[in-house]
Amino acid sequence: MTQTASRSRPPRLASWLVELFASDDQAESILGDLHEEFSDIVSKSGTVSARRWYWRQTVKTIAHLVGAAFRVAPWSIAGTVLLGFVLRRFSFSLPERIIVTVLRTQRPYSNLHYGFYVWQVTYGIPILHVLVSTLLGCVVALVAKRREMAATMTLALVLCALIGAALVRVALQGPMDVAWVLWSFPDPFATILGGVIVREFRLLPARRHSYT
Amino acid sequence: MASRGHLGEFEHTVLLAVLRLNDEAYGVTVRREIEGRTKREVSIGAIYATLDRLEAKGYVRSRVGEPTPERGGRSKRFFRITAQGVSAVNRTHRALRSLTEGLDLLRSHS
Repeated sequence: MTQTASRSRPPRLASWLVELFASDDQAESILGDLHEEFSDIVSKSGTVSARRWYWRQTVKTIAHLVGAAFRVAPWSIAGTVLLGFVLRRFSFSLPERIIVTVLRTQRPYSNLHYGFYVWQVTYGIPILHVLVSTLLGCVVALVAKRREMAATMTLALVLCALIGAALVRVALQGPMDVAWVLWSFPDPFATILGGVIVREFRLLPARRHSYT
Repeated sequence: MASRGHLGEFEHTVLLAVLRLNDEAYGVTVRREIEGRTKREVSIGAIYATLDRLEAKGYVRSRVGEPTPERGGRSKRFFRITAQGVSAVNRTHRALRSLTEGLDLLRSHS
């Protein structure tokens, strides 16, 4: 019974994605329209068709919302992406510097600290890279105001392009700093995560209002 | 891309649908009107992106209706064409009519 009821409701993940990309006013009317058409399709063609339709509409709607954000404020988005890129240039070696500073304060060859020392060298730098990229995504999203997702996704695409270029360089010129490339892999996703975090915080008041 | 008050193709289509629906124009009805008459699949996102642009240009006005249970407790956003919007539709029609005048030969190509 509960399962049937939840299956006849629109996919939650799809609705959440629309909420991330739409402004508060847009989300209210777009999600309402999608819900209305979803219920109509469920009664005519069944839940499977309705869910498929909902997901197709979600993908197309998000593409249009991102396109509209670029049409309305191209320079604002370009500016925030450039700011993110500059900040990343300055903060890229920050994780390594932090780890090296921390390691200098320790006595790595004593039995007590050796395992921790190895852990920091192996995992500390990649984890800090992800944290710094998430923070960078948050900063870009805060500056981009209501276009958090468009700005952080654009920055993530720029980072993907850079990582791709670095991989090509590695392939053509032979062994270089492969670790640099590997550490960079999660960065675009972490940047988008930063955007999602800021967007979710901004959605909180509207959600509280809708629950009351 | 529209310039000097002329409408883009999709803007024109959406404005005509709003005009036809009169007081009942909101996302779902506009989308169905366009799909039913042009046999072209359009997304809700495309409709809203265009309606927002038209509202910013002053061609349509919107008002929020009451939340309803069949919409998951969310409200409708109704759109209505303004006098400026009607002028823009007329201007675009005149321009298209002037361009198609004397093109009877086209029929033989179709």
